[in-house]
Amino acid sequence: MSILSICQWIQDTSIGTSIRESIWVFPIIETIHVLGLSISVGLLLVSDLRLMGVIMKRRPVSEVYEQIKPWMFIGFTIMVITGIFLFWCQAVKAYNSIFFKTKLILLVVAAINAIAFERGIYRNVAKWDNALVPPMEARVAGWASLILWAAIITCGRTMAYTF
Amino acid sequence: MQAIIPFFQWCDDTAVAQAIRNSRIAFPVIENFHLFALTVLLGSIVVLCLRQFGLILKTQSISEVAAALRPWNRWGLAVMLTSGILLFLSEAMKCYGNTSFRVKMLFLFTALLFQFTIYNRIVRNEGATAPVGGKIAAGVALCLWFGVGLAGRAIGFLG
Repeated sequence: MSILSICQWIQDTSIGTSIRESIWVFPIIETIHVLGLSISVGLLLVSDLRLMGVIMKRRPVSEVYEQIKPWMFIGFTIMVITGIFLFWCQAVKAYNSIFFKTKLILLVVAAINAIAFERGIYRNVAKWDNALVPPMEARVAGWASLILWAAIITCGRTMAYTF
Repeated sequence: MQAIIPFFQWCDDTAVAQAIRNSRIAFPVIENFHLFALTVLLGSIVVLCLRQFGLILKTQSISEVAAALRPWNRWGLAVMLTSGILLFLSEAMKCYGNTSFRVKMLFLFTALLFQFTIYNRIVRNEGATAPVGGKIAAGVALCLWFGVGLAGRAIGFLG
């Protein structure tokens, strides 16, 4: 079975069809997905800016990061769940969209960047926790995260124009 | 509301509006910046409100968090308004007949008024914990700004 036929099958399921054909469900899910940006990426912005040494410089990095993290996860959970439903009802269009494919790749890269940061320099955070400007590796992780998420938002928005 | 139609027509006819309409990519690009600004502006409000509710960044005082976020809040707002005005110009006549647009403007003016007359003053003086009044103000600010976003999204969906 090809990926395309799987996508076809996904959007033909009763859930996919009913979301697509409903007057209210699609706009509601889509609105939650868009406004959810403020919770997911909005919170991410604050922790990335601390990593870049731009804001809250007098507070330990780990303190800012750990306090924000659970809420960031709630935000991203909302994004993933609503995103799955949006994909579900228009899987074939998504399959054919270069912006959707790019978005998926960028999401994977963003996840790798986050994991590399946690497993890498963040393990030694005790050494640089109070640094006004964190070491290069941490700053790069912060910059990469922001650039990647800006690109992900761009792909997501542009994708909808081509649907 | 009839009296303001000429103004909307004038907006619709401006050179900027025509240039945006005549370009294939101008509208999507501007809207993308509108979305970036939404993330930064609403994001900064969400973070500050969560702080007032005592849920995050508890080791910093509320006024400290507000001060750290202020430039981001202001820049987010500046980009939001600039891109929003450009988007509006390019389809001013469409907006005139759009109920969601009117609701959005109502929310926007109320949110701006509330933030700059009451809310900013409140958070500037709050320390470790927000009194009940401060928490209510946080809830009101959150509802008003999300109302702007909600009505904004409805412009495209509902009309």
